[in-house]
Amino acid sequence: MQDLVNAVAEMMEDEAMALTKKYVEKGVPAVQIIDAYKEALRIIGKRFEECTYFVPELILAGEMMKAASELIRPIMTDSASNAGTQKIGKLLLGTVEGDIHDIGKDMVHMLMDINGFEVLDLGVDVPAQRFWDEYTKFQPDIIGMSGLLTLAFESMRRVVDLLKDKGARDKVKVIIGGGQMDEQACKYVGADAFVTDAVAGVNICKGWVA
Amino acid sequence: MIVIGEKINGTRKQVSSAITNRNADFIRDLALRQFQGGASYLDVNAGSLPEREPEDMAWLVQTIQEAVPDATLCLDSPNHEALRTGIEKANKTPMLNSLSGEKFRIDGVLPLACKFGTELIVLPLDENGIPRNSDGRLGIVRRLVEMTRSGGLPDEKLYIDPLVMAISTGTDNGNITLESCRKIKEEFPKVHLTCGLSNISFGMPLRSILNQAFLVLAIQAGMDSAIVNPEERELRGILMAAETVLGKDRHCLNFNRAFRAGKIGPRRD
Repeated sequence: MQDLVNAVAEMMEDEAMALTKKYVEKGVPAVQIIDAYKEALRIIGKRFEECTYFVPELILAGEMMKAASELIRPIMTDSASNAGTQKIGKLLLGTVEGDIHDIGKDMVHMLMDINGFEVLDLGVDVPAQRFWDEYTKFQPDIIGMSGLLTLAFESMRRVVDLLKDKGARDKVKVIIGGGQMDEQACKYVGADAFVTDAVAGVNICKGWVA
Repeated sequence: MIVIGEKINGTRKQVSSAITNRNADFIRDLALRQFQGGASYLDVNAGSLPEREPEDMAWLVQTIQEAVPDATLCLDSPNHEALRTGIEKANKTPMLNSLSGEKFRIDGVLPLACKFGTELIVLPLDENGIPRNSDGRLGIVRRLVEMTRSGGLPDEKLYIDPLVMAISTGTDNGNITLESCRKIKEEFPKVHLTCGLSNISFGMPLRSILNQAFLVLAIQAGMDSAIVNPEERELRGILMAAETVLGKDRHCLNFNRAFRAGKIGPRRD
């Protein structure tokens, strides 16, 4: 199924959909098709890190993945659906209070989804209390906070402080992301890791739940 | 075109450390270079934590004024105390960046703008975020202009930023901004239109040519101000060329003066 991997990786949307349809009709097991997409996404992520692909390619990849899962659904057997949809971890995600930047957050959402995480996205301008409330209900493995403004450090810290107050800090990993994040900010906030792009964030989260 | 220089921004690492260390030479140099590059307004964003921000803002305003007394400062903060401190330190009435439909900005920024009669950047977003279409943005602008008018601020003092979203995340994002420009200008002909231009190219390669293309189209749609890096020589040339061919430069005088002064076109070394 190298042709499908190539079509997705090369951003040939129509061809990728046609091939997906063809393989579904030929009776290829869903797991194999899903694996082809996963391989393509690995290539796409690598190209993004190497700066030959950019944000639009990531977004189109997400759309192709979504369309493909619609095509595959009818042939999902139980075992395939387990392999395809079994979640490897839970992520609670949001842009922190005072900040409304959502591009990075939305990309993380999409990529984490594709990589098998169950994602609860709280949107933008999310107060600390809301992170806490949703944390107690959703019980995530990881809390991901996004913010582009330096103002966001303060809001992120409030979330971590709240986790500490409630005695939950050591029960969950905290990752912060945004263009201004650095070691110093990470320390100030009290997060476990910081990243400045979405793909890097996904890699760290995968490492945590592996 | 009113160029607002974007570089004195505490969310940039070098600027942030210059503010923390009170490195006045660094800030003065940044102010002067932008002013000489054609920015008559300089954005001033301390980007610091709320409790430090008023103090940092005061220091920035004083430092920048020493270097470029003729520049108008554009005080950029969500914190009304930092804005007030900046206004009090400024020799010339500054511009404020910004008012939006969010309650804390209406409560904090609007009274300051009205009281001191400042120019004011207005963003069409509110607690629900940024509307995805031009009518939604126009709706927020309407609501805010009503408030500035009743606060006694003439429309000429408003710089409405129709909001530029990254083209990498939505193929229609450029068109939405341009359409918003036209609609706002049609309904409120006296307001200025400004924008943070470089947002358009976020997440893309070759950002500068995307910025340039979008600037030309925005000027055609009524944009008469932009928040940019004034040291980008190519952008400055494109900007002046666009105004000239759109008939906004009488007898092409600005363009030719800039040419003679060596400010646009290939460098003559």
